[in-house]
Amino acid sequence: MRWLGLVLLGPALWAVVFSLVYGLHGTLCATASGPEDLGRAARLALVGAWLLGIAAFLPVFALIPERSGQAANLPRIGLWIGLVATLFTLFPVTVTTSC
Amino acid sequence: MSDTSLTPRTGTIAPNPPRRALALHRELQSVWANDRGLWGQMTAVSHTTLGLRFMATAIIFFAIGGILSMLIRAQLASHQGAFLDTELYNQIFTMHGSIMMFLFAIPMLEGLAIWLLPKMLGTRDMAFPRLTALGYWCYLFGGLIMLTALLFGVAPRDGWFMYTPLSSAAYSPGINADVWLLGVTFVEISAIAAAVEITVTILRQRAPGMKLTQMPLFAWYMLGTSAMMLVGFPPLIAGSVLLEIERAFDWPFFDPARGGDPLLWQHLFWLFGHPEVYIIFLPAAGVMSMMIPVLCRTTILGYGAIVAAILGLVFLSFGLWVHHMFTVGIPHMALAFFSAASVLVAVPTAVQVFAWIGTMWKGSPQLHLPMYHILGFFLTFVMGGLTGVMLAIVPFNWQAHDTAFVTAHLHYVLIGGFVFPMMAAATYWMPLITGRRRVKGLGEAAFWVILIGFHGTFFIMHLTGLMGMPRRIDVYPDNPEWVWLNLTSSIFSFVLTIGFAMFVLDLILQATLGKRESRNPWRAPTFDWAMPIPSPNYNFASLPTARHLDRDADEVILPLARGEGILPGAPNGRRELLVTRVGDAQPDHVGVLPGNTALPLALSASIGVFVLLMLASLYALAGIALVPVAVLIWVWVRGMAPGDNLASVAVTPGLRLPVHHHARASLGQSGLVAFLVANGTLFASLLFGLAFVSVVTPGPEAPISTFTPRTTAIALGLVTLAVGLASACVAWSGRHGAAMLALLLNLGALVVLVWMAATQLDDPTRHARDALRAVMAGYVGLHLLVAAGMAAFALDQFRRGEITVDVTGAWPALRLWQRYTSVTTLVTIGVLTAQAVMS
Repeated sequence: MRWLGLVLLGPALWAVVFSLVYGLHGTLCATASGPEDLGRAARLALVGAWLLGIAAFLPVFALIPERSGQAANLPRIGLWIGLVATLFTLFPVTVTTSC
Repeated sequence: MSDTSLTPRTGTIAPNPPRRALALHRELQSVWANDRGLWGQMTAVSHTTLGLRFMATAIIFFAIGGILSMLIRAQLASHQGAFLDTELYNQIFTMHGSIMMFLFAIPMLEGLAIWLLPKMLGTRDMAFPRLTALGYWCYLFGGLIMLTALLFGVAPRDGWFMYTPLSSAAYSPGINADVWLLGVTFVEISAIAAAVEITVTILRQRAPGMKLTQMPLFAWYMLGTSAMMLVGFPPLIAGSVLLEIERAFDWPFFDPARGGDPLLWQHLFWLFGHPEVYIIFLPAAGVMSMMIPVLCRTTILGYGAIVAAILGLVFLSFGLWVHHMFTVGIPHMALAFFSAASVLVAVPTAVQVFAWIGTMWKGSPQLHLPMYHILGFFLTFVMGGLTGVMLAIVPFNWQAHDTAFVTAHLHYVLIGGFVFPMMAAATYWMPLITGRRRVKGLGEAAFWVILIGFHGTFFIMHLTGLMGMPRRIDVYPDNPEWVWLNLTSSIFSFVLTIGFAMFVLDLILQATLGKRESRNPWRAPTFDWAMPIPSPNYNFASLPTARHLDRDADEVILPLARGEGILPGAPNGRRELLVTRVGDAQPDHVGVLPGNTALPLALSASIGVFVLLMLASLYALAGIALVPVAVLIWVWVRGMAPGDNLASVAVTPGLRLPVHHHARASLGQSGLVAFLVANGTLFASLLFGLAFVSVVTPGPEAPISTFTPRTTAIALGLVTLAVGLASACVAWSGRHGAAMLALLLNLGALVVLVWMAATQLDDPTRHARDALRAVMAGYVGLHLLVAAGMAAFALDQFRRGEITVDVTGAWPALRLWQRYTSVTTLVTIGVLTAQAVMS
């Protein structure tokens, strides 16, 4: 069961970070005065949440046993899937118009 | 309790001595066979019977949906078609989509999993056979309600995704939309039931020693699918319940004039709707992963990569739903999030396609009939996937949204990614179903006619869409330039239909006229072929163990038939199977399954009565109709009582295992956990609705609340205290007194909640915020009621002596439910308090 949990950990972390940043973005847009951009503070909050989410992956890599073989590789691949998905899908917080 | 001394490592399990196969078969048949005649069909709970019945019924619905599509194509063949009027056309295209999605694709994959999984995993049945039967009857009755509505001209007409406000009472009077909302929700009972038992069966019923990393890939795919169903279907159910309440009682969840938001429906629908595409695709990909290596005489390339790809798909598919809503005016950054996720999801899909191509490359592909359909899949699905990537790009999506291009794309994905693999699977597993060989020639011809008919119909539809033709229009008098394209599509659609008819005829000929087939005709290495053909209800005379893994099915057929595996025959006259642990699949205990019963039929019929009364707007009577539902559920659970036979079971010489009544982690306990995952997602969907209406919806401000803060705070404090104490009672003690206390505390909390709803909550019809508060209160109240019912059931079990030091009875289930109820009650109170304070 622990192994299954480790396999699911990476994508689950992505799901959490994605939901948090998406929710934060919606909340900031709802409270913004203008229709276009949120301003520097809100942008920093979004980028900060994204970076914190990425940072959350780093200690989790230490949880994976340093063995080789399929059983050890799958949790590692799961973490990479989560990390790459977090990097790629939330990258827009740095470059696009906010609202 | 499970005695660990009784459960040694599987490597030490000694084989049973060989017995006469025929005697074992007769012994098992007397226990596992269906009753005779029509009554026997109505009371059957066997996964073999019900899996096939699910698939057969789904094929019938597919045929009906196909006939509707021919009517659509006949109407569109000319620009001023007079074949159907607009009202009927709307009903027909809505029913076509709804049937294909809810009454064909999902039940088909459920049926396939129910029929195939136990055979592949080396067990005798699904975890909850009565639930399988309940799911089937709910599916059938729900489908019949929708079809009957079509015959009477009151079928849904607002498109298969039922967008509000078009589907709201103001714009869709009558019962048409209610038929969809109630009928589909009725059918979804079967989806949730299937998801629960697929999850539990895969995690707890694998052959001893079959680790997760040794499972056949189909089981991995189905584990991913069932997890997605547990999380994906509740948002749809939540949305359907909210919309039905809005239509029935005027609670304005989606009415912008009263603080609601039509976009909330779209979010809830597509939170289900996009994962649904992968829910349909993953089982199809699962059968591909099983068939391709066998038909190429090799092993699958990249097992680990495929498992990782499944993992990625399962999660990423929940981050895409907004790509169906790119044109509704959501913020740019959100568009970018979902566009990125939509592009990213192509990667794990491509990993699988390349793994299959690589497997074919390293093996020696043989062009048997299933391989024709596999090649048809590659061609069609890859094209559909590429147009999917095009639609994931926002600027293109804005141009192509709601055009025939999208219709073409979704048919390439669904027919390419589901129907072709299912046809391959049907031709591959037909010998195991019928025991007969196919009649050569017709199947190949059917394939070519289907392939030509499909691409002739839908490839051209891309062009029609790019020329600007919207979906769902019945005439286009001002656009004669679309006529030749539509006429061509219509002609080929009839070719496609002829092809499907030929395919079904081929199956019928095989079932009726085919010569006797030999065992394991494909020389496959998996357990599903290590049994007699056609497969008996019990699958295996004795269950396979670790030493049967990684051997050709041919080598293990006879030893298993002679009882040399584990748990041979049915010496106790009960339906027994082995329950193993989640991670390492070590033997844990023996599960005793219920026999044939009409209870699932009766329960689904009583739910059907409730649905019909709701459709007739007889709400008071509908409430009363829930009483027999509750009574039947009580009878159902009473059926799980241990009875007299609690003795441990000898599964091999020298190894006895306890029966499930003594087990700490029974199948029922695992099933409840899976159900609570789905229930938790439903709860989260309601919270999402509350947050959406509170934060994002631009509608009018909510009126000032009229509740008395002091009184409300005291009442909420009492509810919190009561559920907290009830939870503590059942957690710390397993005694009669604790059950009584839990019953009283839950009932007390319920009374306070009802009083508060009656006196303190604002009128739910005046604003969406108030309506959502009332729904949240109703959710908590329902859970308190169920917790009280479970405590009463436990009390009854104490009275009957069915809960003892060694026998857990319903107590673990009560403890889990009570804990869940406490958490959701506290979260609800916290969220509603925060919302009240902030507003």
